[in-house]
Amino acid sequence: MQQRRELDQVYTNRKLLNGQLDTPKWWLPTVSILGVVVLIGVIVIATMINKGLGLTGLARPVYWGLFITTFVFWVGISHAGIMISAILRLTQAEWRRPVTRAAELLTVFSLLTALVFPLIHAGRPWRIAYWIMPYDVARGIYPNIRSPLIMDPVAISTYLTGSTLFLYIALIPDLGNLRDRTTGWKNAMYTVLALGWRGNPRQWKMQTVGGILLSALMLPIFVSVHSIVSWDFAIASAVEGWHSTIFAPYFVIGAVHSGVSAVVTMMALMRWLWKWDDFIRPEHFDALARLLIVVATGWLAFTFLELTFALYGQDAPEIALREMQMFQWPWNALFIVFFLTGYAIPVPMWCFKRVRTNIALMFWTSILVNVGMWLERFLIIVPGLARRTPFVYTWEAYTPSPVEWTIFIWSFAWVTFLMLLFSKFFPLVPLFEQKESQVFTDDVMIGRAKVPAIVREAD
Amino acid sequence: MTTAEFGTHNWGMVVDVDKCIGCNACVIACQAENNIPINTQDRVERARSISWIRVERYWEGDFPDAKARFIPIMCQHCANAPCEPVCPVYATYHNAEGLNVQVYNRCVGTRYCANGCPYIVRFFNYWEPVWPESLRNHLNPDVTVRSRGIMEKCSFCVHRIRRESRSARSAGTEIADGAIQTACSSACPTSALNFGNFNDPNSKVSKMKEDKRHFTLLDQFGTDPNVIYLAKIDADKKVGAGEAATHG
Amino acid sequence: MASQAVAHDSEHHAPPPNVDADVVSRELVATTQSASGRFKAWVWGLGILSVAGIVALVLKFIDQGDDSTRWGYVAAMVSFLLSVAGGAPMVAMAPVMAKANWVRPITRIASLFSFAGVATLIMLIPLVAILPPLVTEGARRRTVWYMAPDYSPHFWTTLSLVLLIGTGIMLFYSAALPDFASMRDHSTGWRQRLGKRLARGWVGTDVQWRTLRMRIGMFGTFYFLILVFVNFLISTDFGQSMVPGWRDAIFPMYHTVSGFQAGVAAVVIALYFSRKYMKLEKYIHLDAFWSLGRLLFALTLLWIYFFYSSFIVFWYGRSMNDIATLDLLIKGPMIYAFFAGMILLWFVPWWILIWNKVRRGTAAMVVGSFIILIGLLIDRIRTFVPAWSVPGDQIHEKWLKVIPETVWPDIFDILIMAGGISLVAFIVMMMTRVIPVLSVWQVQEFNLLAKPIRYMKGHATLVAKPD
Ligand code: SF4
Ligand code: SF4
Repeated sequence: MQQRRELDQVYTNRKLLNGQLDTPKWWLPTVSILGVVVLIGVIVIATMINKGLGLTGLARPVYWGLFITTFVFWVGISHAGIMISAILRLTQAEWRRPVTRAAELLTVFSLLTALVFPLIHAGRPWRIAYWIMPYDVARGIYPNIRSPLIMDPVAISTYLTGSTLFLYIALIPDLGNLRDRTTGWKNAMYTVLALGWRGNPRQWKMQTVGGILLSALMLPIFVSVHSIVSWDFAIASAVEGWHSTIFAPYFVIGAVHSGVSAVVTMMALMRWLWKWDDFIRPEHFDALARLLIVVATGWLAFTFLELTFALYGQDAPEIALREMQMFQWPWNALFIVFFLTGYAIPVPMWCFKRVRTNIALMFWTSILVNVGMWLERFLIIVPGLARRTPFVYTWEAYTPSPVEWTIFIWSFAWVTFLMLLFSKFFPLVPLFEQKESQVFTDDVMIGRAKVPAIVREAD
Repeated sequence: MTTAEFGTHNWGMVVDVDKCIGCNACVIACQAENNIPINTQDRVERARSISWIRVERYWEGDFPDAKARFIPIMCQHCANAPCEPVCPVYATYHNAEGLNVQVYNRCVGTRYCANGCPYIVRFFNYWEPVWPESLRNHLNPDVTVRSRGIMEKCSFCVHRIRRESRSARSAGTEIADGAIQTACSSACPTSALNFGNFNDPNSKVSKMKEDKRHFTLLDQFGTDPNVIYLAKIDADKKVGAGEAATHG
Repeated sequence: MASQAVAHDSEHHAPPPNVDADVVSRELVATTQSASGRFKAWVWGLGILSVAGIVALVLKFIDQGDDSTRWGYVAAMVSFLLSVAGGAPMVAMAPVMAKANWVRPITRIASLFSFAGVATLIMLIPLVAILPPLVTEGARRRTVWYMAPDYSPHFWTTLSLVLLIGTGIMLFYSAALPDFASMRDHSTGWRQRLGKRLARGWVGTDVQWRTLRMRIGMFGTFYFLILVFVNFLISTDFGQSMVPGWRDAIFPMYHTVSGFQAGVAAVVIALYFSRKYMKLEKYIHLDAFWSLGRLLFALTLLWIYFFYSSFIVFWYGRSMNDIATLDLLIKGPMIYAFFAGMILLWFVPWWILIWNKVRRGTAAMVVGSFIILIGLLIDRIRTFVPAWSVPGDQIHEKWLKVIPETVWPDIFDILIMAGGISLVAFIVMMMTRVIPVLSVWQVQEFNLLAKPIRYMKGHATLVAKPD
């Protein structure tokens, strides 16, 4: 156990508000470059809507490609926030504290990004109203609620609303703090946003109860979102690679795997960019990596089950599909990369404490995981469709087009852009959580050893 | 007995594979009838061609006893269609006459239905359709020209069904068996394709589907199609009912 | 969570008293010796039932050994007993790895269930003999043993079950060393001699403690892996692969999770009775029930989630496989069992366990646990009995064409089921005579690490977290 530094509150405030109260030098150039990329992406999207989906590489029978893969990927990333904030809050894991805000932020922004993909991926995005709203009620035509594609927007928008609230509730005390340290229009903005926060016991109690209630409420939504996304695929009995009962938990645990890894990536960046070495400490990486080992191994078990039961039927099309997925160029290369980056490289590395507490290594391994997890979705979606079916003369007809790649890159730039923009106005590490954890930790003497301890509710 | 009332029919097709000679006349007929854009070389190469009906060549038996066969495949108008429940906007649904219909106006182009269909008979319009100037006046006025971004597939020539039942209704008569012919079935030189009403036990198709050669395609998906196939008769060996269905 | 600690003022949850280590050992060791008359009567009753069950098993084998469709109830029983006796020791392991303090008083009771694994093994023996071979009449049925030899499921399942029980006992033993030493030091008669022999010279040096922890970690991990594996084998080879067309990738997981659920429920019940009848209120805090209640609640939710995940895919898929599976397992011969399982395994426990009050109390928790166990037994019957009732000539079909009739239990089945359950209870009760039901050293350590403090206006516990 590292020695904890006693941090006083003034230091905490000054250090953690450095993004808002003064701007780091790298901020403006970075944001501008990202802004340009975002702009290019928006132009490409607009062109695609204007000209038609012919600009993508899609072709029969691969009707879903890079866009849906990236959609699933971002929905997966969005599982980071609730995993870290809600589950770890309910299980009282102390080390979650400095990470919660960033994780929730990731949830909100990645969901916002994910939502874009199914919309631009539709053939006629301007008719989306038919899909999401009961627009034609007057004529007795509702959206088809049997369709998982209807459950999708419902689940995702609920999740988005919930996590935005969650984020906001946790932000209020810090907003109060910022209000007291700013002047001018910023002060006005924070005053409105802080909702009259003064930090009296009643307000704290409400804030805590609100947080816990939302945690509990968000959990089922958290699970349902990715389950429903997985059912988009799993219910299609004609697509052998998709029609598997394990998809829902398999996707959820995969999402947690990639989401928590994304949080690790972000923590490393935050530590480097804002120099928060005192707050985001190696022991946090250590704890996250331990969690990741468990999650990743669970995920591997699900992968194994999925594969076993795909072949279990011993039907020719199934076997052919898996053969293509694993042994046929170019899928075999992707499959190897997927397996190496998704599990085989990072997880054994994390077994060593030296790696877990090494920020740079954690940064790179967590990026590897997300490469692998993106490929996992790609390998499920595209070969699943590209398989050769009986009585059809086209198969494997898909190569993503430059337009698709541009939009794919746009999504990353967009999320980062939003994050940085947010960091200009709101603290990325929750100040009050940080201070609370200082209050809650203590040392006890056991024999002659000084052991770190934590205050818990009495039973 | 067939009446002209809506909802009293169950339209279906019986395809006698034994009679199919693979001439592709049905494909051309459908193309012309239903305002399907021309499948240029580029589109075919990019696997974006549209043909509501296609004649597939498949192999029966193992090498060296393999035999090439033809089978025309169009939308099977499944009674238990996997493409239907997945559409978020009800653009594809089952009507009371056993047709799986595609409502072009509703379609937003999620292409989910196409993923659900085991027969891969649904097509997406990647571009706005264009015809050469010379063909502009050849479009069928009864059939919608589909804009880009929507799905389309065999409609069992629903406009012909409508036209016939409308005139039968106004004349107060019933639709005679065989009065409605789809473009493909009327073009078929060997009468491999037969269209009719399964609800009428005396119709030609109802009788044909009792043949012991009958089978449905890909029956493991439980789609319960309205297109019934009659197996190829082999000169040297007897092919039982449904046997051909297992060959891909 | 500052305000949470303050929000609950907890008069009736007074902090645990710091008890002197020596008193703890003395008191806990003494529990092994004081058997009441009622205890003896129960042990006798359960023993007789167990013997009757085993006799019924043998008779059934002689009578119906050639008809696999009659053996569904025994298969369900194997799966049920595996869940209870295999899942319970997991309760001892998982939270230890997560360094949860509340689990300390529970570890021993949970790991005692390893011995009850013998009951599973007894039930499995005739079943292995009856399980149809993978290849009959030249056709290989759907199975996870793609190319493996014919006897694979029979052999590997038996082997891994034996391994599971062995590892469970090793896990128990390696954690029990210090307690055998306490018995050696504080007991008399054969118990003292036993303690002396099994303690293997335990005096509590640093090295000994380190080895002990390492062993617990090792056996615990290993146990978990084998347990998942056995669940996988039993659920696929003895359930799923007997039904043509039943292809359910999540079923092994479902089986495992409901196994844990049963394990936790069994531990709660054992905990309740030992707390009540061995007067251990001082050591088994309500905290343990509370945490177990949360665990049970989480597992209940997980169960319904896994169930629903597979159900909806079948329901939507509507391929012939899917329809046949639903017809057989849900709509078909076992529809009442399905509803009963739903209610008992999910609905009722859900509504019971969602309340904090309930989870902090003991009586409602034990009722909930009993309900879950009954529900699980019914659910196992729902899945395994129809699976075994598929006649041998249908096993190779692509999907099930004829849904078999409901198979009702005969007199043998009822005796076997009663006997199997009794045997588990019997073994656990007997084991409490051999070793204290609470791990003495765990209790001592808990007392050392958790310090009651006053925090603002309420009570709180200061928990030390050594690395
Ligand atoms: S053949 Fe395909 S498109 Fe036609 S009804 Fe069946 S599933 Fe739908
Ligand atoms: S029935 Fe009509 S729409 Fe369908 S394939 Fe034949 S010609 Fe084309």
